[in-house]
Amino acid sequence: MVFSSISFLYYFLPTVLGLYFIVPKKYKNLVLLIFSLFFYFYGEPIYGVLMIVSITSGYLHGLWIDKLRESRYAKVPMISSVVVGIGLLVYFKYFDFIIDNLNSFFSVNISSLNLVLPIGISFYTFQILSYTIDVYQGEAKVQKNILNLATYVALFPQLIAGPIVRYTTVEAELKERTHSLEKVAHGIWRFVIGLSKKILLANTFGELVKIFTNTSNKTVLFYWMSAFAFTFQIYFDFSGYSDMAIGLGKIFGFNFLENFNYPYISKSITEFWRRWHISLGTWFRDYVYIPMGGNRVSTLKWIRNIIVVWFLTGFWHGAEWNFIIWGLYFAMFLVLEKYFLKNILIRLPHVLGHIYVIFFIIISFVIFNANGMGEVKDNLMGMFGLLDVRLINPETIYYLKSYGIVFVIGIIASTPLAVNIIDKMITKEIFKILIDILQPIILVVLLLVITGYLIDGSFNPFLYFRF
Amino acid sequence: MMKNKIKNTIIIATFVVFIYGIVLLKILVPDTEISYSERRHLLQHPSFSSERLLSGEYFKDYERYALDQFPFRDEFRSIKAYTRFNIFSQKDNNSIYIIDGNINKMEYPLNEKAIINAANKLNEVYQKYLQGMNVSYAIIPDKNYFLASKHGYLSMDYERLVKLMKDNVNNMNYIDIFGLLELKDYYTTDIHWRQESAVDVARLLIEKMGTRIDTPDVQYTQNSLYPFYGSYYGQAALKLSPDTLIYMTNEVIDNASVYDHIDKSYSKVYVEDRFGTIDSYDIFLSGAKSILTITNPSSSSDKELIVFRDSFGSSIAPLLLNEYAKITLVDLRYINTDLLGNYINFSENQDVLFLYNTIILNNSYMLK
Repeated sequence: MVFSSISFLYYFLPTVLGLYFIVPKKYKNLVLLIFSLFFYFYGEPIYGVLMIVSITSGYLHGLWIDKLRESRYAKVPMISSVVVGIGLLVYFKYFDFIIDNLNSFFSVNISSLNLVLPIGISFYTFQILSYTIDVYQGEAKVQKNILNLATYVALFPQLIAGPIVRYTTVEAELKERTHSLEKVAHGIWRFVIGLSKKILLANTFGELVKIFTNTSNKTVLFYWMSAFAFTFQIYFDFSGYSDMAIGLGKIFGFNFLENFNYPYISKSITEFWRRWHISLGTWFRDYVYIPMGGNRVSTLKWIRNIIVVWFLTGFWHGAEWNFIIWGLYFAMFLVLEKYFLKNILIRLPHVLGHIYVIFFIIISFVIFNANGMGEVKDNLMGMFGLLDVRLINPETIYYLKSYGIVFVIGIIASTPLAVNIIDKMITKEIFKILIDILQPIILVVLLLVITGYLIDGSFNPFLYFRF
Repeated sequence: MMKNKIKNTIIIATFVVFIYGIVLLKILVPDTEISYSERRHLLQHPSFSSERLLSGEYFKDYERYALDQFPFRDEFRSIKAYTRFNIFSQKDNNSIYIIDGNINKMEYPLNEKAIINAANKLNEVYQKYLQGMNVSYAIIPDKNYFLASKHGYLSMDYERLVKLMKDNVNNMNYIDIFGLLELKDYYTTDIHWRQESAVDVARLLIEKMGTRIDTPDVQYTQNSLYPFYGSYYGQAALKLSPDTLIYMTNEVIDNASVYDHIDKSYSKVYVEDRFGTIDSYDIFLSGAKSILTITNPSSSSDKELIVFRDSFGSSIAPLLLNEYAKITLVDLRYINTDLLGNYINFSENQDVLFLYNTIILNNSYMLK
């Protein structure tokens, strides 16, 4: 099930909300678990079993690690949990990629498994690993109640597209959490804002990308428009989903950490990655980069660490070479910025720093969005006028005019401009009252428009489902 | 603190009332079978089986059903259309655009392969049934021809379309009717031309097919039906003025009978009780039919006409009736070319006309 669907908004959500707030406190986790399993089962009936197996594995490994905590073999169950978790991930997500590459490198003919990727497997695998590793490291207490652990992993607000909620973040809240009018109201607002970002902006930009993909009359300007549009689509899609997850979490009393912090206002790629998909970045930092020595090693080893982390970050996004190249592309920038560009970027006017980041981020998403390296090459060549296409044509002009305002809204909405203005305004009592009056009205208007878009539109993909 | 509590309570109450209000409406409003505005049957509750449940098919169908049966579906579609046009300033909504109340749907780009396929289909019919006969073809421009490029919308390259047809259609005379038509000859809420505006076209076709050198004016009585909500009206999902549908009658048309070769049934040329149904344009020859023959008992000649046509042909056929004893209408979207010999006796005494609008030609793979 996806958040941006009629069945979620008007069937699932009212039911789960009603039951959750009616049942006594001790049954709240059970209600969340049952509905979370149904939420997953709705979209992935068969692979629901795989998720339950993964949860059970995480639970048993947690107990095992706790049992051997004082012994010299304590590492064994932790490694076992990693092997099982990563093993399942490799089998379901990467096996065919490995086979295809073996076939082409060694001219052999091993049959592919042609497995369908279980939705959200990359997210829940990383969450389970964060639990077992944290238990091993003594960062988290073992969870003896499997229902609580299952609720943590399967919790529908963050189940299939993140953010990657660490066990330690919600450990206490699984046992004891508070519900308040303020949290629920804030959660509702955040959820509706996220839903609006997804449906009104991400899907509209996605339409333009699709139109570009399908047209045979591409131009240099259209290549750029499509690249810009995808850059906005992926941001509003993914950050919108994170907003919805955080908002729903708040309604149910959980405090998930932020996953995005206006990444497109960054002035360096290093800063961009502190603002983009924060939960993934910190996961790799804490469970891969720091265990490898982080930056407290020689320059060569640091570069090795960066390459490994960013190879894995790229590969996590998908079993294709373009994702690996995408990850390594960022590794290159991080190394370059640390040793060469940092001092230059500091001295540059801010606007040039922004242009530098936006330019290379757009290029990165061209790599990211392509179906294979051939398409990466074609799209980049198209953008830089190296294909036999015109600079502009009537079709490009039409879509530029038709999506012009959407781009302007996208630019404004990807910066903290509106939030800053509101923050400034509410320091004056009169504006605060005005905003308080307007907020419920805006909420209703957004819900009406979102529902209209859902009913009339068929184009509604969630990009991060494939991870 | 107190103010915040009130504000938060209002936000929660607003959200709860909204989503539970929709739930309540969903329970209270019964499912409907047909959407007249969208001119289609709406999905009903999907059938349940454990196999369909485990394969995910049940929930996929349920999702589509929930969309179709959503309370106030048309009103929500209107909100979306309004937002898209007026807030986001987008030029079209699902390819629909509106210029001064005239609703149109972009057809772009020209599909050259489809045009050549259409030409080949005409040639195939000729080779199978029409050799040695007097065969003509004409192309009806869609509304985009008059509206699109003038207002910055995308449209087909019509010159190229006509050239491709001329270059690829063999053994037939091309009758150019583009010059006889203008935007006001079409309904504002529908794809089709107005019958009363097709009189000149009918006269030209008769002349060019060689039935008469100088066709006398035929007198008609105009009959009006209101309100006519055309096929684009529902797609636009906005409150716009409906059209008035006018159909032309005279003694010849009133006396004619229409035989449906598939249903083996007779009817009149105009079926007024189709007005106000899913497609009001069906009053012309009962709408989508694969093979019809209109018989004109008042005819002084035994000349026959066979028209290969789309829905535009339904409204112009009665205007050709004065000159023919019989007009047989064939819609190749609904019957395979190979089967035509089972229903029609082709002979050299017959004129043949292929009359298709540009949208059908650009999507010609639907011609069987």
